[in-house]
Amino acid sequence: MTCQVVLRSPRFPAVAPAWNACDDWKACMDFPENVLARLASADSCGYHQGSQCAAEPAALAALALMAHGRDTAALPLLDWLTARQCADGSIGVEGDPSGPGWATGWAVLAWQAAEHRSIGKTVYPSAIGRAIDWMLGLQGTVIEHLDWLGHDASLKGWPWVDGTHSWIEPTAINVLALKHTGRGDHPRAREAVRLLQDRLLASGGCNYGNTIMFGQELRPHLQPTGLCLLALAGEPATPRVAKAIEYLQRELSPQIATASLCYGLMGLAAQNCLPSRANDFLAAAGLRTLTRDPSAYRLALLALAALGQDCPMIAERRPASTTALTPEIATP
Amino acid sequence: MTTATDKHLPTREERSINRRTLLIGGAAALAGVVALPWIRRALEMTAPVFVARNQRYDGPLEQTIRDGLLAAGFEPAAVRGKLVLLKPNLVEPTRLAPQMTTHPAVIVAAAEVFRGWGADVIVGEGPGHMRDTEMALVESGLQDALDRSQLEFADLNYSPVAWVKNAGRVSRLKGFYFPQQAIEADLIVSMPKMKTHHWVGYTGALKNLYGVIPGIKYGWPKNVLHHAGIPESIFDINASLPKTVAIVDGITAMEGDGPIMGSAKPMGLLVIGTNATAVDATLGRIMGFDPARIGYLQLAANRLGPVDERCVLQRGERWQSVASPFTVLDVPELQGLRAPDVLVS
Repeated sequence: MTCQVVLRSPRFPAVAPAWNACDDWKACMDFPENVLARLASADSCGYHQGSQCAAEPAALAALALMAHGRDTAALPLLDWLTARQCADGSIGVEGDPSGPGWATGWAVLAWQAAEHRSIGKTVYPSAIGRAIDWMLGLQGTVIEHLDWLGHDASLKGWPWVDGTHSWIEPTAINVLALKHTGRGDHPRAREAVRLLQDRLLASGGCNYGNTIMFGQELRPHLQPTGLCLLALAGEPATPRVAKAIEYLQRELSPQIATASLCYGLMGLAAQNCLPSRANDFLAAAGLRTLTRDPSAYRLALLALAALGQDCPMIAERRPASTTALTPEIATP
Repeated sequence: MTTATDKHLPTREERSINRRTLLIGGAAALAGVVALPWIRRALEMTAPVFVARNQRYDGPLEQTIRDGLLAAGFEPAAVRGKLVLLKPNLVEPTRLAPQMTTHPAVIVAAAEVFRGWGADVIVGEGPGHMRDTEMALVESGLQDALDRSQLEFADLNYSPVAWVKNAGRVSRLKGFYFPQQAIEADLIVSMPKMKTHHWVGYTGALKNLYGVIPGIKYGWPKNVLHHAGIPESIFDINASLPKTVAIVDGITAMEGDGPIMGSAKPMGLLVIGTNATAVDATLGRIMGFDPARIGYLQLAANRLGPVDERCVLQRGERWQSVASPFTVLDVPELQGLRAPDVLVS
């Protein structure tokens, strides 16, 4: 069996490689080696192929590369993040001081991983401390009780942008940052966990962060559900967490878009419920990503999700034996 | 191509209507304020709006859109060799509720019209509730349509941005980060879904341009705008963006608990105009609202375009002939936005 070799050029090729020339595209993928190779050789670390470097893709790429033992490729990204840390401790999403700083938590995870791998530089602990200080100084605006609003809007959590309400994803990112740096018991972390639990939908999953409005339960989305379950790993199993797991297991498939699929699988891995076909799903998404838009962001997510329960974003994992899930739901 | 700032040639009657409106405060007051540019513009502001009925997603949409734009006074030569950005509504697409988002067939048809006039066309959106834009494209069915038509898509949530001063200055926002595609486009085509909205009554072409605001800077949802005031920020965004026209997907619309959880309402309409304010005012009349009670239209009236029915020049179907009141949530704030004497069965 011969495989088409992915050409490495300084820039990603405009034309997709001829994957259909392979006898066995799954083998051809050599997943995640091709993904990692592309990630390690990426010129820029952005959300889309060739787009400018941004904090979130850089941090996720650094995490992925380190987790796969490619420390040398990760170091420039870690330094890029360090160089762009603002005086207040935040990192602007686009690497500039104009902010907002919602991706700062991802940088904390990346620096912390470097510390664990003993490739950390002396500046990383200080960078982590300043980032955490900034994070703890930021909170979502609280809203007085409104009859038509389903969630507890008095919980602070974290917003995307200072001066606005709290939402699922920035709150989950910062919960992960606090847990990974040993601050999982911090009052802000505990309150944020309550917020995440409160924003889960009764029927399963969550969306950007609204539950019920004007008497109707809103629809769940895959990506925030996966991220939420990542952040809730190690927390007591609740019926809504079980429903969220069911939702992801029901909806994830090879056809699901890359980021949503990866976050969904990482969330399931964090809850010890990874589907047996996870690698098949990822291989299909990887193929699409490599041929359509091999951005560092998507490649990093693929590489992280491919680690299954060894994904470095999982801070705490509830032992399978203590889960409240039924055997037919939990399919490790 | 006409825009909100272009000068139309209103009829004598239309001029006198506007003058009468403004003369409420008295001739002396008018003399004092007429020096303001937007007041002068208001005196001359009329805009045509084209309404087409009996439309279907598998019908000749390209022909309808072409006819509609021409009837609304659009000059095809103005886009030859220019960049046109089509901005549909993909707020949080799901196959379960296609009435929420602009149908791919309408987007592709509009693209073919502008391509036929020699424009470079891209489709761009920054979904308001979903960070995974690829997911939005797949769920909406737009990805397949783009691939078939070889149309480029710009993810406005993550594009490079530039700071633009707030030209409207109604909200407290000093300016906006706009994605480069919105700034570089010679024309932005707002392509909303015709639907109710549980905060502001209904939304159309003006509110749809929330979607050019990049989530990476404003969040998911774009909560910065909510905190700045929805009507105010709608006005400011539209005042700060250059050159827009509107093509509204009202074939399968949404009523009830819009803009996300509402029910499908078959209308079979396309509403097209070169002035988004006039288009939205017409949408409201068709849907059974009083546009003069809609907050963002109160701000836009005679500044971004005409709202007064007498200043919206009807082309194609008369709005009265296609009107069908939309249900809204049973809350006083929304019920109070209805046009007088409108009954909803």
